[in-house]
Parts: sequence; structure tokens; C-alpha cells
Amino acid sequence: MKNFEYARANNPADAVRLVGDRPGATFIAGGTDLLNLMKDGAQTHDRIVDVNGLALTDISHGNGFLRVGALARMADVGAHRAVREKFPVVSQALLASASPQVRNMASIGGNLLQRTRCGYFRDTGSACNKRIPGSGCPAIDGENRGHAVLGVSDHCIAAHPSDLAVSLIAVDAVVLTNGPHGERRIPFGDFHLAPGDTPERENVLTHGELIVGLELPLTPAAAKSQYLKLRDRATFEFAVVSVAAALDLRGRTVNDVRLAFGGIATKPWRSTDAEAVLRGRALDTATIDAAGRAAVHGAIPRAHNAFKIDLVQRALSRVLHELGGVR
Amino acid sequence: MTAAVEAEVGRARRRKEDARLITGRTRWTDNLTLPGMLHLAILRSPVAHARIAAVDTSAAEAMPGVLAVLTGVDLAKEQGSMGCAWPVTPDMAAPQHPAMAVDTVRYAGEAVALVVAASAYQARDALDAIDVEYADLPVVLDVTRALAADSPLVHPEFGSNRCATWVFDSAEAGTGGETAPAIADAEVVLRRRFRQQRIIPAFMEPRSVLVDPTGDQVTMWSATQVPHILRMMLAATLGLPEHKLRVIAPDVGGGFGGKLQVTPEEVLVLLAARRLGRPVKYTETRSDSMLSCHHGRDQFQDLTLAARPDGTITALEVELLADLGAYLGLLTPGIPLLGAFMFNGIYRIPAYRFTCTSVFTNKMYTDAVRGAGRPEATFGIERMMDELAAELGLDPLEVRRRNWIGHEQFPFTTVAGLTYDSGNYEAATDRATELFDYQGLRREQARRREQDDPTLLGIGVSTYTEMCGIAPSKVLGSLSFGAGGWEHAAIRMLPTGKVEVVTGSSPHGQGHETAWSQIVADRLGVPFEDVEVLHGDTQISPRGMDTYGSRSLAVGGVAVLLAADRVLDKARPVAAHLLGCAAEDLDFAAGRFTARGTENGVSIQEVTGAVFAAHDLPDGFEPNLDAQATFDPENFSFPHGTHLCAVEVDTETGAVKIRSYVCVDDVGTVVNPLIVDGQVHGGVVHGIAQALFEEASYDELGNLTTGTFADYLLPTAADLPHLVTDRTVTPATSNPLGAKGVGESGTIAATPAVVNAVVDAVRHLGVTDIEMPCTPQRVWRAIGGGA
Ligand SMILES: Cc1cc2nc3c(=O)[nH]c(=O)nc-3n(C[C@H](O)[C@H](O)[C@H](O)COP(=O)(O)OP(=O)(O)OC[C@H]3O[C@@H](n4cnc5c(N)ncnc54)[C@H](O)[C@@H]3O)c2cc1C
Repeated sequence: MKNFEYARANNPADAVRLVGDRPGATFIAGGTDLLNLMKDGAQTHDRIVDVNGLALTDISHGNGFLRVGALARMADVGAHRAVREKFPVVSQALLASASPQVRNMASIGGNLLQRTRCGYFRDTGSACNKRIPGSGCPAIDGENRGHAVLGVSDHCIAAHPSDLAVSLIAVDAVVLTNGPHGERRIPFGDFHLAPGDTPERENVLTHGELIVGLELPLTPAAAKSQYLKLRDRATFEFAVVSVAAALDLRGRTVNDVRLAFGGIATKPWRSTDAEAVLRGRALDTATIDAAGRAAVHGAIPRAHNAFKIDLVQRALSRVLHELGGVR
Repeated sequence: MTAAVEAEVGRARRRKEDARLITGRTRWTDNLTLPGMLHLAILRSPVAHARIAAVDTSAAEAMPGVLAVLTGVDLAKEQGSMGCAWPVTPDMAAPQHPAMAVDTVRYAGEAVALVVAASAYQARDALDAIDVEYADLPVVLDVTRALAADSPLVHPEFGSNRCATWVFDSAEAGTGGETAPAIADAEVVLRRRFRQQRIIPAFMEPRSVLVDPTGDQVTMWSATQVPHILRMMLAATLGLPEHKLRVIAPDVGGGFGGKLQVTPEEVLVLLAARRLGRPVKYTETRSDSMLSCHHGRDQFQDLTLAARPDGTITALEVELLADLGAYLGLLTPGIPLLGAFMFNGIYRIPAYRFTCTSVFTNKMYTDAVRGAGRPEATFGIERMMDELAAELGLDPLEVRRRNWIGHEQFPFTTVAGLTYDSGNYEAATDRATELFDYQGLRREQARRREQDDPTLLGIGVSTYTEMCGIAPSKVLGSLSFGAGGWEHAAIRMLPTGKVEVVTGSSPHGQGHETAWSQIVADRLGVPFEDVEVLHGDTQISPRGMDTYGSRSLAVGGVAVLLAADRVLDKARPVAAHLLGCAAEDLDFAAGRFTARGTENGVSIQEVTGAVFAAHDLPDGFEPNLDAQATFDPENFSFPHGTHLCAVEVDTETGAVKIRSYVCVDDVGTVVNPLIVDGQVHGGVVHGIAQALFEEASYDELGNLTTGTFADYLLPTAADLPHLVTDRTVTPATSNPLGAKGVGESGTIAATPAVVNAVVDAVRHLGVTDIEMPCTPQRVWRAIGGGA
């Protein structure tokens, strides 16, 4: 691990300046991802700015929304009563993440910016367009069981690892930031970027821009929502595929719906096409199956991940059947 | 008078060592710090096979805190070759095995350079500054490919990658008939190829070594299972005088066979400390450990089972292809052969042939991991029994009943040449089926199938036995093993009446201190709390063969018992003298000698005090009650049992959930039921882990792709069922305790129980096997879920 400078920020402006000043600087919250990346050499920084002293840990009610501080810990948010009741999908996604130890350390802001678990990205001995733009993507023809089938490009097929992010996109969350150019509100769907030609850019934040919190709008769909995560062991394991669904039913008819997917896409993946299939229709097995087909439309399977296309449809079907009480 | 005390043997005592082990406030090797101690870090090869073209250490040497940077070339003259204690055949290929690669690396993770620095961080940082130029050589990873004539060679000097071929044939051994005609004549012949994947022992405490050179004496602390073997092997490898070398295994946090090894790291730390004349410590990281602690299993099993239409087995042939990896560790080539004696399981099989071909590849070498050869064999035969049942349309328990050795047939000499002294397979199976509700689950299974339930139920059976209490020395000799299988114990009677028990079997989490104390407390009639068990230091316990092969109680515990009896034998004449009666007229109970028919008595503590003072002893009595004993068993011991597993298979996702697991084990006499239950739980979980979760994989270049616990899936409590355990007790007849051993039985039993259950759940869909680990993806694929 390379030597680096450590600084502690006392307020958001301080933090923004300490990182914004220095191209090689970055924030550190729980450190559960950043330290691993730095130890592996997948990321190097000459200054890390500790933001744990900032007063950004509150979970509070606003007018029509719940506000969650960027430094609230995954464990606290997952267990919070309002989150459990008004946004079950978010609570479930958090509690299905990582391990209790990690959840006690890890912050909400850090979770959204965690890097992919692609083995080539994390191994400095391998080429990787994300790590070294232009060096190539060994995953496309290599070990790609864990990789994405949607949102991929010729340069990168790495899956986005966050469970939380998948759930947030299903509740229309807004990311609140404070940066060198002032404050911003970023709708969650616009926050992460698909790799395209620039896989090294994973989100719309500018250098030195600090996530200060999230706004979660209270909606009937969000209150009736669910997260299903399929993985290779019951805890301490990333998703093979996951589904976040929020459903507002009027009688048997779908009034509003959000569907998002993890494990299968390069960014937290919302399928408006699948939602469109359901919206205004009676929720039954045939419609659910049609929505599943729409969700994976355009998927590009590779040697070891084609199974995800079937698996995610089955997972979606299970969630919608349960959530909608359909037998 | 001493009040009548509850017998210690059989009592579910909490372990006296747990408080310090669990809190970590104890002598883990890495907790030890010596004055002037330096720290060592190891640079490991990132490639699986290459010539080392050049190494530049100059930048590393200039780094802060660095005292030495050493390469294989620097150590070539003194490092010798790591020893293999088991030359299985006279023509076995035994390659040179340097502790640090000199000119060629043969697996990813092999040591290529080391740094010694003032702090562990400085040592680690300096590794990055070492520049090694590798000239790649072709890599061979697959055993079948490795045997092809045009394969790249791991050790070119042998002209092939074959290490050894070892054969057992019952016709040649005189223990049974010939297999070929029996198979040719059979009405039912089943052939299956099973895979035993490679696994990593994943002990909790990473390995750590500390060496203190003082004058011409060397003291090594190591997180090892085998301090005595380590001392002997270091002396042999490095030409060190054994009497100048002291090895200490302080508290050791698990091993599972992974610390039954003499490691390159131990040699390297010793050499570095000797060069620098200062204490040096090395503690591995978890990723170092995953790469470079020996792995286990990794074999293909080709099995042929011949039977009559009624299910009676007429012959069994086994062909193993064992992947040894790049070098031979301490016991590497012998591990698959331990299975040779177990493939026949609990069954009467008239003809048997076993062949093992062992092969070098560019991977970490394999060696003992919990069960070592026996889980592989048990998996093979127990899977075959379920396959036979399915083939004949019989219940899997019924097929077993038709073939197993009846309880009235013991002692029974098997087709593999072992004599099973005792057992009762009927009793264990009856109890297990009752606890499991076998019939009820079968009905539910049928119902789910009829109703096209997406969640199917499967039931798996494993009626296992194993050989443990390793081992009768003469048997080890006949297998060309490099040492005997005895164990040593000594008892020291302290002046204040306390007792020290010295044991040669060095624990690493088994609870020896508690169990040995129970044995001695009962035998000598002293309080449990008054017994201290000393172990793991060659200066305190100079003789021992250490802990592996479920041998501690059945061999080491017996030595303790015999030593206690010798203490009593010595004490008797003193007691008689003090009581003024003849030794023949003494009774001994609850720690007290009494003159028969009188109230006159003297306690063992009082006798000890009298011997210490030595003022008034029988004429010519040597004032010392201490005693020692060495026990060499006549025979192995043979735990057995019936494990039943029910799984739910989610056909939409391939996920397997263990619904219930019942094990009824017969481990002979139980000294401490709590410890036995703990071993059964841990053992079964270890087996479930292999069946459903764990696999060490390498990519096509020979990089370990499961080098962290994020990729190498150890199950957690959330993945595991509640285990229902029970016991039958058929004491072993081969030792005076009647104990059989329990450290590995769960691991040996569990893999076939689980995989049989998974296959049973989906057999009606045309599935006859699913390779371990039965991950959701593999299960899904097997039932036609697609790629
Ligand atoms: C073993 C393990 C298993 C895991 N399993 C899962 C899982 O199943 N599901 C899942 O979703 N996640 C999983 N994770 C990832 C884990 O959730 C993340 O590591 C964690 O959420 C990151 O939060 P942190 O506070 O530790 O971030 P850090 O490691 O401190 O930071 C991560 C990144 O975020 C940046 N950052 C942090 N805070 C801010 C902020 N306020 N504003 C701007 N930038 C910021 C940092 O600069 C850094 O680039 C796992 C992690 C581990 C180690």
C-alpha cells in the first residue's frame, strides 16, 4: 500500500475543499470498500479525508419524504422503524447485504460508491478498462459468471454490486450532494452511469462532491415493496441476481409500479419497459411473465452468465406473485 | 473421608480451556513478542509455472527498517528439501522441494523472496519493491491432461507427471476374490465417476512462526498440530542437531489437518533468524493462507460396483486419479491411500480392487484435511449404495441392510484387510430413522412430486464407518509410513497434591485439557480442578506423535490412563507402609487407600506428600510417584453411525436448503458428551460445507480464484440446519478406555448424506449425480435449467 496523507473534515465545506483541492484525494467513511481497494492497489490516493465526524447520520421525516444522512450506517438504516414500514424494500436490501460487522461500519454514501466486485478490476495483474482505460476487458471472454447482461458495452461488463442502490431506484430516491459548485439534487436514476466508452466513470459526481444524504419520497408503492436476493450462501455474499419491486395495486389492477434489478446490470437497473407492461393491467401470471420478458429484452449473455436471464425472470415472478398476493 | 464423587468420565463438563481461547487472551503464537524481535514477510509467485530469470532486491534493501532481503539463491545451500514422510511406493517420484524457489516456481503462491524488517508493515511494504522477472513456462492444471504424453511437465526430471501408482487387490492380499470375473459375471454393474473437489482447511487462526536463536540453541513457536514431528523434520531437513532445537506449539486455533505439516515458512523463519541472530516472527495474512496452506481432497473416483438383482454386492473396483499439486508435503502421497481401506465401508464385499494414480500439477500441494482419504472413500461407497438402490428400485436403507456386517459378526475382517472389532449398524440406523421420521418424509416427498410442487424434497443416507485412533505402528510400517503411531503421557505428582499431566498429543482446539483431566481425576480420585494438562512443548513433553487422525483420545488418552495406573502402582506400597498393612490388603476408591475391613485410610495426596518428604518410606523405595506410559494400539478403532439428511430443492432457483439432519454416531465410550457433540457439530458442518459450498478453484493460468473468504464460501450459521444428534455406545475393544475417536467422523459421514439427498430430490427428473459443491447453479443445470 502506498503512503497517503490523512485529514479529518469538521464540516461538509471543509470536506469538499480537502478533497476538491487535490486530484488524488478521496473521502473515507466506513472504509469497508476503500481500504480493500487501496490494499489491493486497485485504487491509489495520496490523501484520504475522513468524513465520519460530520453530522450526517440522522434519519428524519420531511414533508412527504424520509431523509437519510449519508453517514448513517447500513445497520441503523436497515433496522430503522420508518424505513422498515415505509420502505420495506430498502430495509430488506440493506439487511441482506454483507455481514453484521460490515453493516455496522459501512455508510449509506459509501455503499452507493462501492466499486464492482469484478475480479479483473480488483486484481492489478489483469487488464481492466475501468482501472486502466484502454487496457482491455478480460471478463468478456473470461470468468464472467458474476457479470452483467444488461447495460454492457464492448469495454466493460462489470456488474454493479450494491443491493441498496437497486432498492433506492425502486423508490425514486434523490441523492443530495454538496460540491465545489454548490448543492445538487440528483434523481437516483440519473446518478449511476452505464460504462459505454468510459467505464472508469461510474456516476455523475464531480471530484470533491460529497454525498450528504438521500430523500426517499413516501408513496403507496414504496410502502408495499419487496427485495429478493439470490446468492450462493445465506449471508456475507453479493447477489447473483436480485429484484426490487414496489407495487401500488388498486384492486387487482396495477396503479403504479417500480421494478429494479441487481447482479445482472452494470448499474442499478430500472426496467421502465417491464413496468409499462404491468401498469394499468390486472396482475396475473401471464402479465407477470410478459413483464419478465420485457425486463431482459436486449440482454447480452456471455459464456458463464446466460443463466441469469432465466433466473432473474423467475425471481421477478416470485416477488410479484408474493407482493401482489397472486397464486 | 472423601464423599462419594460423581464419575468424571461421561460428564458433560464445559471445557476448562475455553475462556482463554475464546477471548484470545492467551498464547497464540502471534500474541508473543520477544525483545529485539524482527518481522518477516514473504513474496509469493504470482504465476503458476515460470523460470525465475532475475531478482532485484536492491530497492527493497534500501527501504526503511529493512534488515535483510533473501532469495532462494541466497538460501539454496542451507535450506535443504522439505521432507515427505510417506514414500508410498519404492519408485515414487519424489521431487526436490525447496522452502523457497531457487530457479523455478511451480505453483502460484510459492515463496520467491523474503524480507526481514523492524516492523511487520515495513516488511510487507518492502515486498512491493522486489523486482522479479519471470520467464513463463507452460502450465498444467488438469490431472487427465497432466498424464498425456505431450503434457507440460511440473518436474521434467521424472519424464512424466505421474508421482506413483499404488494398488490393493483383495485376491493378491488374500482377503477376497478377484474383481474382474465377478464384474464380468454380474447381472447388475454400475459405473460412476465422482469428483472430490479441492478444498482449503480454513482454520481460524492463521499460521504464525516465531524463532528465537540463542547461542547454538534454537526455539521455535509455531501454530502447528505437530510440534514433535516438526522438530524431527526440521532437524532432518536442515541438518540441525535435534537436541539443540526446541519446538513449542502454544495455543493453536484450529488446524483441520492444515497444520499437520512442516511448512516452508517454518524453515524460512528459522533460517532468517539464525542469519540475523535475532528473534524473527512471521504471521500469514488470510490470503497468504488460502494460497499456501496445503489444500485437501482433489481427486476423481471411477467406481465399478457389481451386484446381484437382490442388491447383494459381489465386487467393487475403485480407480482414483489424485491431484497432488506441485510438490509433496509431509503426507501428500499417502492421503488418498487411506481411502483404500474404507471404500468397502460397512459392507461384506467379496472382491475388491483399488488403484490410485497420483499426479503432479501446477497447483498448491494437497495433504491431510479433516478425514484425509476417508471422507473421499465414504463419499464414493455411500453414493454408490444410493445409486444401487435407485437402479434396483429398492429403499436405500434396505440395500444397505442386505450388505452390511451384522452386529453378531464382529470381529469382522474386511475385504480391505482391516479387522473391525465392534459395531452395531442396526442399532444406530434404527435410532436414526426414528428420530428422522423417515417414513413421514418419504410420504411428503411423494406428495410434493405428485403436486408438481416447485420445492422438492430429497432424503439422503450415509451409513459410514471410519478407521481412526491412528495407528498401530506395525500397520504404519507395512504402509511405508516414516514413523510409528504410539503416544506418550507422563503424570507428575506435585508436593501439594496437585497433578500435572504431560501429553504427547498436542491439541489445537479439541479440549484435551478437559478430557484428560476427567480421565485422571477419575483414575486417581483427585478433583478435576487439581489436574493441569501440559502439552505442545518438546522440552516439557519430549515424546509425542501429536494430533491428527482422531487419535488423541483413543491413543493419547489411553497413554494417560496407563500412566495414572502406574502412579497408583507406585503409591500402593507407600500407602501400605503408612497404614501398617500389606499392599494386597489395600482397597483404592475415590482417591483413598484403605486397609480392607477398617476405617484406616490415606489419600493419594497424603501419599504424594509423604513421598515428597521421603522421611518415612518403605526400605529401598525410590522417592518419586511420577510415571509415564507409551501406548501403541493393537488395532485402529472404528467409529460408525447413520446420518440422515433431508433437503428441499427449489427447482426455480436451484437453491438447496437442508431441512433436517439427524446423526446417530457410535464413537465408543464417551469421556465428555459436550465435547463429543461439539466435534460432531463441527464435523458435520465441515462435511455440509464440502457438499454444498466450498471449492478451491484455479483459473486457466493457475491463479487461485478463491483466495479470500468472499470467494471461498465457508457456510455461516445462517446456511445451516439444527442438527439432531444422538449416540449408540459400542465400546472399542482395542483399548482400555473403549473410546473410538470423533474428530473427523462428522466430516466423513456428511458429504454423501447431503449429496444423496440432493440427488434423491431430483432423481425422477433423470439426474444421477451432481458434482460437489452442489451450488444452486449446478443443481439448476442438472435439472435442465439451462447454462
Ligand atoms: C465482505 C463484504 C461483503 C459485502 N457484501 C455486500 C453486499 O452483499 N451487498 C452490498 O450492497 N454491499 C456489500 N458490501 C459492500 C459494502 O456495503 C460497502 O463496502 C460499504 O457500503 C461501503 O461503505 P463505507 O462507508 O465503508 O465506504 P468507504 O469504503 O469508506 O468508501 C467507499 C467509497 O465511497 C466514497 N464515499 C464514502 N462516503 C462518501 C460520501 N459521503 N460522499 C462521497 N463519497 C463518499 C469513498 O471515497 C469511497 O470511494 C460488502 C463489503 C464487504 C467488505
